[in-house]
Amino acid sequence: MQIAVGEYLCLEGDKANSLYIVKSGMLVGFSKATEGAPLQNFGPGSIIGEFSLLESAAHELTLRAAEDTVIEVIEQGKLQSTLDKHPNWLRSILTFLTSRCHIAEENKKKSDMIQALPSLLYILSSHIQETGSDSMPLELLQKKVIALNNSPAEETDRLLASLQNLGLLKVSGEQDKVVRAESLQTIPLLYETLRYRALNQKVSPNILSMTEQMVLSTFVKIARDSNVPQHNGLCTITTEQLKAEAKKSMHGLTLTSRTIAPLVEKNLLEPSNAFDIHAPLEQVSFFFADFEKILDLLELNRIFPLLDKNLV
Amino acid sequence: MITGDSQQQVIPPTRSHVKAGFVVYSPDSGKRNIIILEEGELAAVDRSNGIRSTVFKMQPGDLIGVAALLEHESFKYPIEATRDSTISIVTEECMESELKTLPVWMLAVIKNLSSKTRKLKEALFKTRCENTLKSLAEYCSHLEAKKDYPLDEFIQEFHWLTKISKATIQEDIKTLVRRKFLIQKGEKSSSIRIASPILLQIFVDYQIATEKGETWAPFMLTLDQKRVLVKLSSIDQSQKMDAPAWIAFFTEQKININVAEWIRLQKFGWFQPDSGNTFSPCTDNIKYYLAALHFETNIRGVL
Repeated sequence: MQIAVGEYLCLEGDKANSLYIVKSGMLVGFSKATEGAPLQNFGPGSIIGEFSLLESAAHELTLRAAEDTVIEVIEQGKLQSTLDKHPNWLRSILTFLTSRCHIAEENKKKSDMIQALPSLLYILSSHIQETGSDSMPLELLQKKVIALNNSPAEETDRLLASLQNLGLLKVSGEQDKVVRAESLQTIPLLYETLRYRALNQKVSPNILSMTEQMVLSTFVKIARDSNVPQHNGLCTITTEQLKAEAKKSMHGLTLTSRTIAPLVEKNLLEPSNAFDIHAPLEQVSFFFADFEKILDLLELNRIFPLLDKNLV
Repeated sequence: MITGDSQQQVIPPTRSHVKAGFVVYSPDSGKRNIIILEEGELAAVDRSNGIRSTVFKMQPGDLIGVAALLEHESFKYPIEATRDSTISIVTEECMESELKTLPVWMLAVIKNLSSKTRKLKEALFKTRCENTLKSLAEYCSHLEAKKDYPLDEFIQEFHWLTKISKATIQEDIKTLVRRKFLIQKGEKSSSIRIASPILLQIFVDYQIATEKGETWAPFMLTLDQKRVLVKLSSIDQSQKMDAPAWIAFFTEQKININVAEWIRLQKFGWFQPDSGNTFSPCTDNIKYYLAALHFETNIRGVL
């Protein structure tokens, strides 16, 4: 088959079931996904369309002749007749290699998404901290993520959709889209938590045990119900209130000094007087805590276990 | 050598009957064979931690060892017969003799599939950043000025974000230090300080423009445009005037600005439009252009 310079051999997404072998000349390939990237060149000896031949996959690229080009076309009929002349295991090997390549492609996509998340969170949390604003133009975010990690804009869009599903942010607007964080703290907190895990190879102290989360949720519930005014963002709850509410909402868990101790150690709950893990909890009259900080931590702990599942 | 010559002698696979419990493949053997299960059942077993667990079971028609044979990537679990079974073993010699009978295009398909998979697997551990210096500058542009960052932690975090090798990061740090964008401090240069985040952001923008083959706006200003910039930086930033008044203002300053030039100045973002057709100087953009001009040699890297 001969293709004159400038002519198109196929268009991206077209149905296909044949393999092309370039005998002479040059084809260039491009796709919407790699717009702006250098064109792929296919010179003599190149083969294009293994998946079209083996499993009728649509063309991945639009192919245009960069010079007068001669190609050999292998149709599926020829593949079948060749395989018929050989043992069955050869067919199995081809199937195995094809599926293995698809698995590798999927793994690469998943890995890219997972790899791109910290960069996205880094840019978003830096923007929040630098400007004090909860929103950032999508175009600027995409540009900065590309500059940092070369993650394409479509990947950033997919990540943002996942984070939106988790209730972490919202992408709004028609033409000039804006990414708006639901809270000023959660995104920086999430980045810091992932960073801590990566750099220290252990779970961040921001990740709380179920018991710790239940105690803090109880604390939040009492604070909300009691309408006690906060001072400098701190709210105060008596030990008596905490024990009474814990009985109702913590599914039979008895609140003791030992239960509270990890939260005191992490400075999330501040006791009114000296705290002794071995003494009865009643020796502390009340606890106070930064209400917003607790809310952000609880939100982080809601999101964190869902991250991986949502991303891939 | 693979020739595609169909007249070659083909070595057939070896057919064997094995009893339940027989180990048909051991990772320690170093053998690179494809095992095809004809009848019965095989299982890949994991004995690490001293406990035997079945990783997966193979049914008739399944095969294992293709990656080991074609790509020298050995399978990590032993394979045992869980029932009396019949297997066919395709050895290296057998495979080679079969491949020799295949047409060249079929060999090319097999080779391409293998090579694509290998490249995808390798890419999992490689950075996607082509311009690592730009990437480092972007990262640094979000750090605080006048704060010392421990070098080890700095490199670790950036490596985690980008997968750029630590050796490359260290080289790029040196480059940014030479350009005076970063300052190394402490004994044995154990910490890093950011000279100016905005300068690093300017450097990133310059790199982006260069990659696209574009001439970067701050470096293509005419003399009159530069004089406008300097004048704007020295006047009251809250000053508001309409376009003719601004043109008259610059003419008074002996800066030759006509309507066409005024439109070009708009594109630089030096003026922000206010209500009522008036314009005031845009401080951030003016500072950005001034810094770019002031540090042109550092940005271009021609110190």
